[in-house]
Amino acid sequence: MSEKTQAYGIDLRAVAPHLLLPLAILGVVAVFAMLQPAMLSADNAVNIMKQSSLFFFVACAQLVVIITRGFDLSVGATVSLVSVASSMAMTALLPSIGAGASIFVGVVLGLLIGAAIGAVNGALVAFGRINPFVVTLATMSVFTGVATTISGGFPIFNLPDAFTFAFNQMTILLLPIPLVIAGLVAFALHFSLTRTVHGRVLYVLGDSNEVAHVGGRRVKEHLFLAYVTSGVLASVAGLLMTAQTGSGEPNLGTSLVLSSIAAAVIGGASLRGGTGGISAPVYGSLLIVCLSIGMNLQQINGSLQPVVIGAILVFGAALDAYRTKSR
Amino acid sequence: MTAIAASQQSRLGRVMKAIGILPVVLIITCILLALYEPRFLRTSNLINVLRNASFLAIISAGQMLVIIVGGFDISVGAIVALTSVSTALSMVGLSTIGIESAPLIVLLGCLAGLVPALVVGIVNGFFVSVMKISPFMVTIGTMTMAAGIAGYVTGGTPIYDMPELFTREIGRGRFLELPYIVYAAAIVLLALWYMQTQTRLGRYFYAVGGNEKASRLSGLNTRKYIWLAYILSALLAGIVGIFLTARVGSGEATLGSTLMLESISVAVIGGVALKGGVGRIQMVALSAIFLSVLSNGMSLARIDSKNHIIIIGLVIIIAVAAESYRENRRSRHV
Repeated sequence: MSEKTQAYGIDLRAVAPHLLLPLAILGVVAVFAMLQPAMLSADNAVNIMKQSSLFFFVACAQLVVIITRGFDLSVGATVSLVSVASSMAMTALLPSIGAGASIFVGVVLGLLIGAAIGAVNGALVAFGRINPFVVTLATMSVFTGVATTISGGFPIFNLPDAFTFAFNQMTILLLPIPLVIAGLVAFALHFSLTRTVHGRVLYVLGDSNEVAHVGGRRVKEHLFLAYVTSGVLASVAGLLMTAQTGSGEPNLGTSLVLSSIAAAVIGGASLRGGTGGISAPVYGSLLIVCLSIGMNLQQINGSLQPVVIGAILVFGAALDAYRTKSR
Repeated sequence: MTAIAASQQSRLGRVMKAIGILPVVLIITCILLALYEPRFLRTSNLINVLRNASFLAIISAGQMLVIIVGGFDISVGAIVALTSVSTALSMVGLSTIGIESAPLIVLLGCLAGLVPALVVGIVNGFFVSVMKISPFMVTIGTMTMAAGIAGYVTGGTPIYDMPELFTREIGRGRFLELPYIVYAAAIVLLALWYMQTQTRLGRYFYAVGGNEKASRLSGLNTRKYIWLAYILSALLAGIVGIFLTARVGSGEATLGSTLMLESISVAVIGGVALKGGVGRIQMVALSAIFLSVLSNGMSLARIDSKNHIIIIGLVIIIAVAAESYRENRRSRHV
């Protein structure tokens, strides 16, 4: 981690990288707004806010482990499993204990599943010293399998209305609830990454494994905790996305794995570890969501959209390589 | 510890090190399966297992090469789909422009079908070796692009009307009881075995993966070998794509979607180290057979296909955990 350089006056070269992404997002919005005025409508603005808040959580889940030079390929599986399991719990308990209590049980169960998957990943990565890519690849296939098995491959309907209201439609001071939760999580994550020992250790781990060990902190516990955090964040995404779709879907998270990594890296986290703050998932998710909503409005063929996202991914990674070289 | 015990242990250790634990596990799995389900030993079933193993072995051989030079190729599954579409389209195209002879159509169609695979391989290699971008990101990017293009071109519907010669002869034909893909796999495996053990090129791949900086400083053109590994991986994936297309009888944009995970699993179970520089083709071939036997056994035992990925995931975890346990012990001894 480089210290903040003391800048006298405004050094354009130092500021430019920080302005690049906000400008890119504004540029994307402006281009689509010119093509389709509906891009700027109030409904669409709310839509962008909601979608990018949902996406923000998986990007955060990815960021926490990317900082440690890791990966979490299992975020998508976590989202799917949480969606299915908590929906099943809610619909099963709804007649007997009422809406409030069943929602509570469903949400707690979802968070626990996220923490458990994160704990499995973390234990294998930190204590088993196995490559995070392979670990999360394996847990991804295991938990995707579990999600499709317990649901039989079918969506789970008849969720309590209060659930979809409380976790998707409700607004607090005109802000949609996913955005509010995203804001709270962003604040908490930012605090823990920048102001706590835990956060420091994660960055040091990403910079150099040896240094972290020599430093004398209980590195393995911190690494373990990073994966648990990632699992919990993914489960929050799973709960909110379930509320958004209104049903428990066994393949809700399938497409999220790659795009969550894309969002984190485009936003400024480096796959070489040790860099990236809370701004990475914020910018990354906003950029990708604005692009995909814009392309939908413009009615670009659904199979061509991934081509655009893929190109952006390679571009973002090239930018990352360039940044690392100049560091 | 007495000297005798130590020497015995080291002899056992040497044997285990030479052949590894995989053949033992494979034989045990086969015996258990044969006892549990006699249908496993039927000729038709064994040929079926061999055919699946051949597909897996070819694509995993490419994955192995890329992992040996310290990378990853996430795009192999998408390359299979893209090749399937491009091969089918070029055969249909060739027959509409009036070429009569079926062998010519098939030959040209296959060659033209491999062009997109070659392009993806070149792009992957360029960004990884010259631009020094993380192979993970590059191949995810090219994967989404290749899959998107394949889906866009077909519009979601399979492409039919390929020559009979291709779908019937290459897809279902046999030579000495065995499907052609088995011979193709044997040729690929032999060629790679020869390259890895007998040629300088094979040594260089290991050197580049083992320590890129050292190999560059000792005068190797590391870029060239990394680039070459990605191109070979893409071409091998393309070959699998052609054979799968012939087998299915149509060009499909969804073909091979599971092959990316399976190829990485095969490589990892076959002892290819993700940090690069380690990996032998014969172990990868064994591991491909093992995975095919495993999924065949699960089908015979009527385990729901949704559960297959759970079991394969568990096998991966056990395999890498065993590997890292061995590694940790070795490093403690030194």
